[in-house]
Amino acid sequence: MNNYELIDKFFENSLTSKEQRSFNDSLQSDKEFKKEFLFQQDLKKVIAINRREELKIELDQFKKEYQGKSKSKFLFNSWLIAASIALLVGFGLWFVKDSYFPSNEQLYVQNFEPYRNIVQPVVRGKNPKTIEHSAFVAYENKNYHKAINLFNSVASPNETPFQFYKAMCFLSLNKTDDAIQILLPITTTKEIESSSKKFTEMANWYLGLAYLKNDNLDKALSQFSIVANHTDYTFKKEEAKKIITFIK
Amino acid sequence: MEPFESKNIVELLKRKDSATFQKIYNDNLKTFINFAKGYHIEEYDSYDIYHDSIMVLQENAINGKINDLKSSISTYLFAIGKYKIFHAFREKAKVNITNDIEIIEKNFDFDVDFDDKKLTNQQTLLKNGFKKLGKRCKDVLELHYSGHDLDEITDILKYSDKNVLKSQKSRCMKQLKKIIFNYE
Repeated sequence: MNNYELIDKFFENSLTSKEQRSFNDSLQSDKEFKKEFLFQQDLKKVIAINRREELKIELDQFKKEYQGKSKSKFLFNSWLIAASIALLVGFGLWFVKDSYFPSNEQLYVQNFEPYRNIVQPVVRGKNPKTIEHSAFVAYENKNYHKAINLFNSVASPNETPFQFYKAMCFLSLNKTDDAIQILLPITTTKEIESSSKKFTEMANWYLGLAYLKNDNLDKALSQFSIVANHTDYTFKKEEAKKIITFIK
Repeated sequence: MEPFESKNIVELLKRKDSATFQKIYNDNLKTFINFAKGYHIEEYDSYDIYHDSIMVLQENAINGKINDLKSSISTYLFAIGKYKIFHAFREKAKVNITNDIEIIEKNFDFDVDFDDKKLTNQQTLLKNGFKKLGKRCKDVLELHYSGHDLDEITDILKYSDKNVLKSQKSRCMKQLKKIIFNYE
């Protein structure tokens, strides 16, 4: 057994007492061995720290989502009450709804919908076993954490379509800042290829929604103005115009 | 539907499956906060205790300490939480009420020390370097340093063959060292 295997076994907690003795000896007498061992011991420590940091972030996210759900239930209930009162008082329901001024959050919720998969159609039965395909399967199943991991693992993760759908995942998980970071470069690239152009166009709309969600009204307004006024664009034009009237 | 039994869950926790964590989180949160309320813990603090408890759950799962868990994950999670609540109490009120805890689980290891603050330069370098590795490498090294042998890792990460895993692991170490030395 070579020395490094002893280190492996140490970390697997499987040294026999004889091996433990030669492990101790090597630690005392062999400088390289000791160096390697200390390196791996540090590695063990930082791996545990990374793991906890990642989970901490996830837990905060779960908390946010959980509270978000209860909050929207509350908002919905309040809306119901408001509507009932309006009926009782005798105003037309539609009139009340029109004059009702939605919050940024509500505008976001009403308008956000993750864009459908137009890259890799998922067909029952005959599917290629590629990372790209698994990513879109996860995406369609709303398994967004998994999809993000897979989009990161494809051969060319920086291609616009993968970036775009990763941003959809982040938006769906309420990780708005992460989504903005991805969408921003997509909106500013000058794509020549027509398929990528489409993503640039859509990214403008989603970036607007992300800013709206973050209550960054100035930036949201300028995004929606692009969507509403760009002569080449057709995606979500009317919706953008409508939102502009609310937030202007 | 796949049965949501403790054994399966422990496997999923070892793989750090996000959906599993979220399910455990959502399923137990409300009950936990009410439970903590019984000990006069503010909701704000309950969240911290709850999050810490889930982190201990992950540590114990990944370190192989609950492979033979007899009770349900929820029961185990609440046992950790209860321990943490008493711990918080003891620190605040300076009274020892540990004797009140009735815990059946043999593997009592609830008090995981998160000694995360002080890092040497090499450790910081290593920490950043490790993040740059691919997911596969991260998973392999993580399980190795959590005390799993090659057979177990082959099983958990569904490798076809132990030797494939073995050479993968050594490639990962080489890659990590290369990253670190480029830093320096």
